[in-house]
Amino acid sequence: MAREIYAYKCRLCGTMHYPFRMVCKGCKQNDYFEFDTVPLPKNGKLLTYTTVYNLPAQYDVATLGLGIVELENGMRMLGQLQIDDPKIGMAVKGSVEVVRKETYDNYYGMVFTAA
Amino acid sequence: MRDVYVAGIGITTFTRLEYPLSEIAAYASMMALKDAGVTEVDQLYVANMGAPRVNHQTALASAVADSLSLLPAGAAAIENGPASGAAAIKAGFQAVASGMDDVVLVAGVERMREVNNLEATDFVATLTHPLAEYIYGVTLPAHAAMFTRLYMEKYGVTERHLAMVGVKNQNAALNNVWAHLQQGITMEGILDSPEAMTNNPYVAEPLRFFDACPVSDGGAAIILVSKEKAMELGRPLIRLSGIGQATDTHAVFEREEPTDLLAVRKAAKDAFEMAGLTPDDVDVAELHDAFTILEIAESEEVGFFPKGEGHIGLEKGETALGGRIPINVGGGLKGRGHPVGATGVAQAWEIVTQLRGDGGKRQVEGAKVGLTLNFGGFGNNVVCLTFVRED
Repeated sequence: MAREIYAYKCRLCGTMHYPFRMVCKGCKQNDYFEFDTVPLPKNGKLLTYTTVYNLPAQYDVATLGLGIVELENGMRMLGQLQIDDPKIGMAVKGSVEVVRKETYDNYYGMVFTAA
Repeated sequence: MRDVYVAGIGITTFTRLEYPLSEIAAYASMMALKDAGVTEVDQLYVANMGAPRVNHQTALASAVADSLSLLPAGAAAIENGPASGAAAIKAGFQAVASGMDDVVLVAGVERMREVNNLEATDFVATLTHPLAEYIYGVTLPAHAAMFTRLYMEKYGVTERHLAMVGVKNQNAALNNVWAHLQQGITMEGILDSPEAMTNNPYVAEPLRFFDACPVSDGGAAIILVSKEKAMELGRPLIRLSGIGQATDTHAVFEREEPTDLLAVRKAAKDAFEMAGLTPDDVDVAELHDAFTILEIAESEEVGFFPKGEGHIGLEKGETALGGRIPINVGGGLKGRGHPVGATGVAQAWEIVTQLRGDGGKRQVEGAKVGLTLNFGGFGNNVVCLTFVRED
């Protein structure tokens, strides 16, 4: 089964959240506390990006591409980039892959390539 | 609410310090206590971000209280990311203003060089969103870089503007003996010569090495007192006249307009309102230039320049010593260094030094009103303070 990253939709007012928060930012009803999960779209356009050279100790790569993407439904997320020559506004497509490895755990997140 | 005054200030050299964390805080505090002429306090707050993680020490304030023989004063540590310092000053203000305490010591301290650079970078990155940011390998330089890219696209800021901030602040540090970086730099050396790209490589494109503050150890302290106590102590009357604090989304990408720093705008607005001041009244400012772009963006959000025009004021020299609104004349975070928990207190230390007229070569002539902006997270927790000389 393909892995997904989920947005959280408030059951009371429909406001979508990513990342998850305990209280809906739309209706602020803290006695309701229920959200439906909705998979985030995987396609979007690149809003901004960087290539990082001084990475935290867990990364054994020389550089890492990172970017903020506006997804098809208007929500935004941060992801790793595997794009040689990124440009602001370019179309990208995402897939859920391992983005961080620790001794006993793999962390999954969105990795974007040129669409 | 009672008025609150700064009666004493102290600081350590910002550099790599081979002393226990609590002693670094205590050293700065001793200077501040001596400066104020007090040997007892009702309460102390110790601002620090990384002691449990980086220095393997918890309950730091208790250690500092005992080390300074301030027992049985109340003591508590305040952890608020890179805005810990100003958040602790706010707590100290509240203690005195409420009438609960008459004399409060606020110390800020960090010892980040105890670990290597990669671990220090990772330690600071733990303030990002754990699931939506941190797991991707995001660092604070990466956040600043993505923000810079947008600023360049939207407002025409260039690498030259960033380098101008770096040169201004790092060279300003040469007038501050406590500052970490004591090496002058030139535009030629970091931007305009064939060697520049070797001297000044990318850290996170488009940010380069000289766009980022150094990793520093250090401590700073101030003594906050009631007006009655301030008159009794007889130090210059510097009033902490305005405080604003605001938060913003944890995940940076959630912000509606990604080039806005709404928490900076709100914190400054509230501080000015409380103090009855406007940005035009400020004679000298300490902005949180952990990255060069932040000095430009914050100078706009605080209200010194219209949005998108901070770099134009910079070009005209308005933010340099002698300019319309001198910013970071003691080196800022870029030149003085950025021991994260100490920074907010060190900014207040610089402003009080200026308002007392003790700035020496970096003195802003006749400075009566000063402002500090302490920027936590990537702009998700910001504290703005105003100080006024009253005599």
